[in-house]
Amino acid sequence: MLNPLRSESEAFRLLLYVVAFFAVLIATVLIARAVF
Amino acid sequence: MEAASISAHATGHDEHEHHGPPPANHSSRVEAPLLGMLIFIISEVMVFGAFFTAYFFIRVAQGDPWPAVGTHLPVEVAGVNTAILVSSSLTLHWAQTSIKNGNRFGLKAGILTTFLLGCTFLFVQINEYANIGFAPQDAAQQTIFYSLTGLHGAHVFIGLLLLLFVTIRSFRGHYSPESHRGVEVPGIYWHFVDIMWIVVYTTVYVL
Repeated sequence: MLNPLRSESEAFRLLLYVVAFFAVLIATVLIARAVF
Repeated sequence: MEAASISAHATGHDEHEHHGPPPANHSSRVEAPLLGMLIFIISEVMVFGAFFTAYFFIRVAQGDPWPAVGTHLPVEVAGVNTAILVSSSLTLHWAQTSIKNGNRFGLKAGILTTFLLGCTFLFVQINEYANIGFAPQDAAQQTIFYSLTGLHGAHVFIGLLLLLFVTIRSFRGHYSPESHRGVEVPGIYWHFVDIMWIVVYTTVYVL
């Protein structure tokens, strides 16, 4: 299980997940705004 | 010497008697430096949460326009700054991986690059404040903008101080593949600061 506070490597992995999640979120919102 | 040792055993004390307060009791399975950082980061999440509550109150509950009418947020410049900060996490991870593998050059190059990228981020942020064209007291939106980005900037500043210590120690020959907790704990903090910026950038600048 991911515990970002256990080690630097896991904190870095969480950062990558967060970047990916927010990139998808931003893309979705911007596309939705352009379409509707 | 032997007599002293026998005497120490007889009295129940070691030869080198302990001075000062008794050693701390480690009841947790997590190491003390990591546990300290864990509790600190949890408290930091709550601090940011309070500021985000104010942001969402203005924007969602109050329904005020964001940004305030007649103002413009430099989304592109902040986007480049975001890339700089995320890059600094990459170089920090490189430094940490390097010292784990005994690569001292990688540690020094990675940690120095991380520090310089962090300084660049803070410089661009301060430059943004100087040229953005509104002040914190102008409107509620501006107050929240400066509060959220300023709170994050303060965290970057603290992170840079930690990185400065790590950089100096790295160049002075500290850390080894067996002992690199001094890089690991500030590293966790730095990644946390990066994660918070991703949230701040998305909510304040983009959405």
